[in-house]
Amino acid sequence: MPCVAWGTESMSTKSERVPSVRRRLFALLLLPAIGVLIAGTLSDYFTAAAPFREAYDQALIDTAIAVSTHVEVDQDGKPKIVLPPDAVSILRADSYDSIYFRVSGPDGRFIYGDEDLPELAPRVNNPARGDATYRGEKIRLVSYRTLGPAGAITVSVGETLHKRDRARRNILTTSLAVDVAQLGLVLAMIWFGVRVALAPLQNVEAQIAHRSARDLAPLGTASVPIEIRSLVSALNRLFLTVTQTSAAQRRFLESAAHQLRTPLTGLQAQLELLADEEAGSPTQPRLLMALEGARRLGHTTHQLLTLARSDQAANLNWELVPIDLPSIVETVITDRLTAADAAGIDLGAEIEPASVRGVAWLLTEALGNLTNNAIAYTPKGGSVTVRCGVREGAPFLRVTDTGIGIPPEERTRVLERFFRASNTRGGGSGLGLAIVNEVAQLHGAAVAIDAGPDGKGTAITIQFPVPPGAPAA
Amino acid sequence: MRVLIVEDDALVGDSVRRALANNGFAVDHVTNAEAARSALQAESFDLAVLDIGLPREDGMQLLRSLRNRGKAIPVLMLTARDGLTDRVNALDVGADDYLTKPFQVPELVARCRALIRRANSVTSSQMTFGGLQLDLPHKEAKVGGEALDLTQREWAILECLIHNAGRIVSKDKLMSSVTDWTDDLTPNAIEVYVSRLRAKLGQAAHIRAVRGMGYRIDEHEK
Repeated sequence: MPCVAWGTESMSTKSERVPSVRRRLFALLLLPAIGVLIAGTLSDYFTAAAPFREAYDQALIDTAIAVSTHVEVDQDGKPKIVLPPDAVSILRADSYDSIYFRVSGPDGRFIYGDEDLPELAPRVNNPARGDATYRGEKIRLVSYRTLGPAGAITVSVGETLHKRDRARRNILTTSLAVDVAQLGLVLAMIWFGVRVALAPLQNVEAQIAHRSARDLAPLGTASVPIEIRSLVSALNRLFLTVTQTSAAQRRFLESAAHQLRTPLTGLQAQLELLADEEAGSPTQPRLLMALEGARRLGHTTHQLLTLARSDQAANLNWELVPIDLPSIVETVITDRLTAADAAGIDLGAEIEPASVRGVAWLLTEALGNLTNNAIAYTPKGGSVTVRCGVREGAPFLRVTDTGIGIPPEERTRVLERFFRASNTRGGGSGLGLAIVNEVAQLHGAAVAIDAGPDGKGTAITIQFPVPPGAPAA
Repeated sequence: MRVLIVEDDALVGDSVRRALANNGFAVDHVTNAEAARSALQAESFDLAVLDIGLPREDGMQLLRSLRNRGKAIPVLMLTARDGLTDRVNALDVGADDYLTKPFQVPELVARCRALIRRANSVTSSQMTFGGLQLDLPHKEAKVGGEALDLTQREWAILECLIHNAGRIVSKDKLMSSVTDWTDDLTPNAIEVYVSRLRAKLGQAAHIRAVRGMGYRIDEHEK
């Protein structure tokens, strides 16, 4: 994955959650919205419940008033209720609730109905309303006091609460359903709104996330929201600085290469010619020693320059282009046939079509180093094979030899700069495999060191990643 | 064979001059582009060895101006830089070959020889390669004045190898150089032809098999 400059570090090192503007916006908008909706539900409930309660109470009062009109005076001058049994059963008929009533005279004496039904004292309000418990059940009770022909009488009507409870539940369910729907709608709107509002931010984020880590072109600022414009400008300034630094480093290395290589070339060539001219003379062995020293110096200089130039920092400007691996193998083999012949080693190839995106001269250097090592550490009569191909969709370069091998415990360390395996001899710089490693990293590839076929010698593989879009067969 | 060396570094220039002179080339050495231009106008050379990093006008600019004025002289570029871009640029501008510093003297001499031979094979019908004299139009190879009895296919393989002398030629390439449309040859057949050709050439030239890649012809066994 391309690495995004901001945020990735804190994501990987801290366990706490990464701050997110979108989450904050959601939280800040959603919590109040939920609060408002809960308050709305409650107020809906109470406003809807009050009229219901009023209507039910009114029905009780109506009943009380209706009963009070049937009060007459008996021959003793005492009040009495004249109600036909049918009327009483109509009065008590209700599909949900039990209805009770009681009529009492001016002195509170029971006249008619349910004798033990409690009674309210309608002093301030007439009729009076209230809650009571009757026969183990909560009831709603009204008491109505009126002046009849036989003086003041009080009619109380009580009713169990089933109907009211049911109505209250209905109101609660309905208003909850409506409000939950509302909440859902608001939630969706907030979600959509936050997304739309943050789209420009995400565009910038995507722009950065999708570019290659080596891409240092400035980000477009035209559609960048004002809130992060200075951030994007700062990034662009940073890109520019990195580009310039990298270019300066590259110029420096190029000029260093030139300044170091030119005199080394002259020195080496002069010593070579002198050694030829002095063939057979006593000075020739000394000239050959000097020549060997100059060559080693030249080799190390070349390795150091290559290492410096294969470094990521110096390579931000390299264009990665499609490269045919067989042609790299061919170049490497062609350049080393003479050395292999001189060492008595059968140098060969196994070539299958493969290509990668990369820097050709660096890959040539890396494969060349592997091949040089293989030739150097394989005894006379052995063989070195340079391979390229594709395994499971991933291209690779591999050099196998029948040489002395690298002890398994040193296989990771040999990739370090200046580390030399314990069984090596002679004048290697200890940089060859470090270069291979750097070049591999630059190409997103891994270096694997194994024993060669039959467990002898060495097999070193540069394993490239599966190219994007290729079927991982 | 006359070679012009254009190299501003005295140490390198002198060693290239000596190396080529020791190998039988007539050598002129100049140290800048202007001197090179007037030398090339005044005299005729078989090859120019041109350093890219010259003062003022660099080797690349000099080569471009030479090619623009129709100079067809073979050019071997020398450079101290190792990027492929340089190589590609040099070849694009019209260099025939390219050598990175530091180089070894025998390598330099071999490249110079190969360039001159390649240039000659274009302009003349006769050429020599190692102990071989080749008559290209008559498809004839001689060793010490004695004509070799080569079949058409053996000649085709020899010609293809010599044309790419110093480089490895794949079996596929050799196959396509000997077959016409009606034939189909196996890689094994190529091996047979090459071994027959090898026997006929004897010591005159050496065909080396490179495992997994193909063949390379050398003037003499290295």
